[in-house]
Amino acid sequence: MRAAGRGALFALLAASAAVPLGLLAVWSVAGAWFYPALAPSAYSAEAWRQVAGGDLAAAAGRSVALGAGAALLGTAAGLPVGRALARLAGWRRRLGAALAFLPVAAPPVALAVGTQLFFLRLGLGGTALGVLLAHTVPAAGYLALYFLGVFAAHDAGPEEEARTLGATARQAFWRVTLPALRRQVAEALALGFLVSWAQVAFTQLVGGGLVRTLPTEVFSYLRSGQERYAATGALLLSVPPLLALAAARVAARRAAVAGP
Amino acid sequence: MTDSRPALPLLAALLVAAPVLAGVAYSALGAVGLAGVGAEGFTAARLPRVLGDPRTWASLAWTLGTALAATALAAALAVLVAVAFRADRRLDRAARALAAVPLPIPQVVAASCAVLILGQSGLLSRLGHAAGLVPAPQAMPALVYDRWGAALVLALAWKEFPFLALVATSVLAARGTAAEEAARTLGAGPWAAFRRVTWPLLWRALLPSAVAVFVFVAGSYEAAALLGPSDPLPLQSLIRERYADLDLAARGDAYVLTLLALALAAGAVAVHEWAAARQEGR
Repeated sequence: MRAAGRGALFALLAASAAVPLGLLAVWSVAGAWFYPALAPSAYSAEAWRQVAGGDLAAAAGRSVALGAGAALLGTAAGLPVGRALARLAGWRRRLGAALAFLPVAAPPVALAVGTQLFFLRLGLGGTALGVLLAHTVPAAGYLALYFLGVFAAHDAGPEEEARTLGATARQAFWRVTLPALRRQVAEALALGFLVSWAQVAFTQLVGGGLVRTLPTEVFSYLRSGQERYAATGALLLSVPPLLALAAARVAARRAAVAGP
Repeated sequence: MTDSRPALPLLAALLVAAPVLAGVAYSALGAVGLAGVGAEGFTAARLPRVLGDPRTWASLAWTLGTALAATALAAALAVLVAVAFRADRRLDRAARALAAVPLPIPQVVAASCAVLILGQSGLLSRLGHAAGLVPAPQAMPALVYDRWGAALVLALAWKEFPFLALVATSVLAARGTAAEEAARTLGAGPWAAFRRVTWPLLWRALLPSAVAVFVFVAGSYEAAALLGPSDPLPLQSLIRERYADLDLAARGDAYVLTLLALALAAGAVAVHEWAAARQEGR
């Protein structure tokens, strides 16, 4: 590819990374920003005061708690399933992967409508616990697939050695396998958190509008034309994912340097 | 290491899939009036009513069409990035890092940015005004809530291209440049080398991931609800609207639509596994 084309593509990538997030940052402090001005005519910290201790802070706190819960539950479900599936070969592994992929691929609205009455019957409709369990459904699917990949590439040698030396299966798992996979488990927890962190449809339908999280607040603000709050919430919503991405890139580079 | 009891892992996987299977079963019962909201005993009227409604098919066609467009755009951009920045120099690494930024961003954030950039009084319209091209917001072509779903396609392509770029980059890195160099030595131009050597290799490897992107995009709710038109309604918005209908009998119609959406997702999963198996079998 010619240098000019590469330069243009690089500029496009830089703009795609910087413009959307930069625009959110400006809107988050815009007091008045009327068409066709290219910059706000007045600034306001009002939306950020909401972040410091208002609706946005409460919604963000709820999102963090739900994300942490879905990360733990999703990992607790996904790790053993992925590990078990990695022992299979051929069509059996394909079938297992397809089953784990289903909750990831199912459209959240369709899945929520199809399962909502189960939640209601269990008394979980409109509760944070119900929303947490709903978030765990796609998280467990993602993490089962993630751990299928991890264990398919994992060297089971040390674990088998420990078993030969008399360790029980449980001891071998907790004292040999898990410590060797510390980075992967941390990544899985981050992934599970992010799956929950982005959910809108499950939260709205299972939560019945009563469980308000950061993404559902951004959704409502945007629908009602409150750009400043929508932008502030959206910016806040981008922080953990970008930190996780940066951490994953650093960890991957370190792993590449240190060798397997 | 293979398991002596191969059924056990599959049972475990079945547990992970159980909510979806329960949703399918429940929607199937709901579609014939045996369960769910507005159930009044068996009825065969819902299926023909919903499936005979042209709005159902308009919604489905719109959803699949925009999903296909977003997936194609994302894949094209991903291939471009992977091919242009495949080396291990500083500029290439920086470009790949920039391309990864939208990867973990939640969909509702992508939709917010799309409204603020592409809306009729958004950044693009303001820049157009400054350049003397757009006299007023109404003169700006509608990209949000429009029939063509332009903002939706752009927002979802932006959100999904990093994943495909990551896959394409790793395919090229694993493969090396030897085949292309050989083609060039034998007299192929850069375009011919790409078309005959790089592309056939890339698209096969990208296909499973592209199918995954397609199914996410087709099933997306918040971006479609925030950026899509009201006629035709995107499929997920149509389900929500039916399910919230004041007429309880109409609410039951939502189950026919969820069944349709879940069947499509299951079909896409099957295609994904087929494509992945074919790729791994090579």
